[in-house]
Amino acid sequence: MNELVASPQTFDELRTIVKSEASILPVGNRTKQPLATDQKASLVSLRDMKGILEYEPSEFTFTAFAGTTIAEVNQALQQRQQYLPFDPMLIAAGATLGGSVGAGLSGPGRFRYGGLRDFVLGVKFLSGDGEVINSGGKVVKNAAGFDIPKLLTGSMGRLGVMVEMTFKVFPMPGCNQTLAVACDSLETAMQRMSVAASSAWELDAIDYRPATQSLFLRLAGPEKVNQILVKKINDLWGADVTELSNGAAVWQSVTELEWSQEFRPLAVKVPAHRSVMGPLVDLADQRAGVDLHFSAAGAVAWLLCESQDDVDQLDRVLLENEVAGLVVRGTPTRPNIGSWPRTEISLAVKQAMDPISKFPRLFHS
Amino acid sequence: MVTSLEGLASIFPPSRFVRDAANQAAFESDGLTAFRAKPRAVVIPETAEEVIAAVRWCHENSVPFVARGSGTSLSGGSLPVADGIVIALNRMNRILEIDPDERIAVVEPGVVNQHVSDATAKHGLYYAPDPSSQSVCTIGGNVAFNSGGAHCLKYGMTSNHVIGCKAVLATGEVVTMGGRSVESVGPDYTGLFCGSEGLFGIGLEITLRLLPKPEKFHTVLVGYQSLQAAGDAVSAVIDSGLLPGALEIMDALAIEAAEAAVACGYPPGAAAVLIVELEGPAEKIEHERKQLDAVLAKTGHFAERVAVDEADRLSIWRGRKSAFSAVGRLSPDFLVQDGVVPRKRLGEALVRIEQLSRESGIRVANVFHAGDGNLHPLIMFDGKQDGALEKAEELAAKLLRLCIEMGGSITGEHGVGVEKRDFLPEMFDATTMEMMERLRLAFDPRLVANPGKMFPGTEAPTLTQNGLHPLEKAGVISRE
Repeated sequence: MNELVASPQTFDELRTIVKSEASILPVGNRTKQPLATDQKASLVSLRDMKGILEYEPSEFTFTAFAGTTIAEVNQALQQRQQYLPFDPMLIAAGATLGGSVGAGLSGPGRFRYGGLRDFVLGVKFLSGDGEVINSGGKVVKNAAGFDIPKLLTGSMGRLGVMVEMTFKVFPMPGCNQTLAVACDSLETAMQRMSVAASSAWELDAIDYRPATQSLFLRLAGPEKVNQILVKKINDLWGADVTELSNGAAVWQSVTELEWSQEFRPLAVKVPAHRSVMGPLVDLADQRAGVDLHFSAAGAVAWLLCESQDDVDQLDRVLLENEVAGLVVRGTPTRPNIGSWPRTEISLAVKQAMDPISKFPRLFHS
Repeated sequence: MVTSLEGLASIFPPSRFVRDAANQAAFESDGLTAFRAKPRAVVIPETAEEVIAAVRWCHENSVPFVARGSGTSLSGGSLPVADGIVIALNRMNRILEIDPDERIAVVEPGVVNQHVSDATAKHGLYYAPDPSSQSVCTIGGNVAFNSGGAHCLKYGMTSNHVIGCKAVLATGEVVTMGGRSVESVGPDYTGLFCGSEGLFGIGLEITLRLLPKPEKFHTVLVGYQSLQAAGDAVSAVIDSGLLPGALEIMDALAIEAAEAAVACGYPPGAAAVLIVELEGPAEKIEHERKQLDAVLAKTGHFAERVAVDEADRLSIWRGRKSAFSAVGRLSPDFLVQDGVVPRKRLGEALVRIEQLSRESGIRVANVFHAGDGNLHPLIMFDGKQDGALEKAEELAAKLLRLCIEMGGSITGEHGVGVEKRDFLPEMFDATTMEMMERLRLAFDPRLVANPGKMFPGTEAPTLTQNGLHPLEKAGVISRE
């Protein structure tokens, strides 16, 4: 693992480092280490460039330094009954705003209103040559110029050093209620996920954990309304439905990637779809060291793995199904597994954003 | 030397390679009717292979092209490049796949926005972005301009609903961005492609996210004695913690026009009306409407109309959605601006607009998406009078600068296009502009894809005055 070379406190310090180091890779609190391993680059942490710069509850927006932790942001938002609806990941582990954008990770809440990409409005960043770029804007609606903030989502510090970002936020729903629905097979679970996702219940999250055959549904709204909807779901799936009193813990176990009985060092994100669910469930059944959880009605699979061997087997399944995977925790031999696209254009975009190759290469197959 | 079109012509049968003036005339302008330009030829592909071949021919011969759907762009985004090629995509209008279980639709670029919702209605699903021109505008154009609509506050713009795109880039390279999952790994190229105004290439197969149709709507029309009171009501609704699907305001002049055009029955004598729409599960709406009633009761309104059924709801929306074409009854011509200001500065912005309108002696009607601070001032003028268009454009420029000054944006949903290209460098500093230009070159090193749009430049189109769009006159489309 690379050693951190600096944690600048000010913008000028950061800019000096960007200009003087031959190759750098920006990081936050290093909660997603596999994304920040590179043989040559000097790691620069943004963790000391933190704090909320502007927060206008009536605008549904805030602007903060990249090193601000999600925990700090959540606390400020909560005081005004607002929140980031996409369930940011690894909050307790210490994730920062910048790292969350760079990794492009969203939790179960992305089901209802969209993922992190849909809530980033603007990003101020330093290009490889140390120029300040102000991309996007600070208002909730803006169609001017290219949407660079979206390009930076998932760019893993390889297209620029993000310094400040503006997010859209929403009013918090009154109450959360979580249901577990027992499903006797993957087919039943998939059928029910489809029903739940297409229903007019306006569910907040729909996740499925194959090992326990539990479908988790989150309702978010006024308590009375939740109760009526719970009754409707009960009427449909009867004895299979259980109301959970520890709902928050269930969801937190997903966002912290800690739902398995034993701690699994490696964690992998897989953008999934229905035809890849079966092969992933088979893999988890075959390998004792693999724990699987589906989020966003099956649109994303999270896999916790015991060993590199487990990751290698997963890599094989992903390649067979032409799906990409990203190892976000642990010390894998490489973070990009499965079938990543390689196109001329990603090289051209990298070249445009980083003409002097200050940052490491983007991942591809 | 003028490039021979022979190679391009060989890709298409003569019926779909248009060079005669009469048939080309329809492609000379778009929703921004003040501009027109004559293309050298119009090609009408029916397959992705034909689109790819046409783009490759343009790239190889350095001939500019403009992709075009229904030509409803309000910023001149689909205005032809003089002596360039128009690639008309209306026949690329197949819905390739609807997967109700994954709640996605894969469509060609020429599919009309409304048709996606129509085709998926039987599964209880719909496509959320609803620009006012949705009955004719196409998904390809919506993606290129990251179109908005009345429901962006809750559901976001077009890019929030596009999860994948197979596209031919300006270089002729065919790429697949994103896929069937709403999640991805690596840089979000799909997100970058949305809103690139046709400067990167042409989407061939676009994967859209579908949402379940809301079970119930609660639509209220509220009349106020002043614009300020309506603006304050918006803040009160937002501060109450409600998240309405839509929050729209129209001022007296816009109401007058809508009333004359469609007799929408808005409260007589209102200085402003506010439309609030809640949507969701029936039980939730029952609950939230009480909350909304309590908030609105304190906003000093003098009239209130609650939609009693779907027909009544649509009649409330008819007034709003027809407002722009209706303004055509008050004035032979008008320009529509699309700037955004922070919501809390809406009142201030409206006062300034009124002041600027008075100073210039030009009437301005206001219709806007109040929930997200997206203004739509309609600047009225008579193009037959010497210098009237220029004066209207001067006022429009002042309004755009006002939005920049207030920390907003020059465009919320219409895009920069031709119309606002000189203002982009006022919104973004030089280094940011340079970065965007580098990105453009990465996709299009020969600058053949929709040149003259978004970036200030020399490729100036001809400015003419030819009144309202014919479809707009007929009330089929409207500017929003």
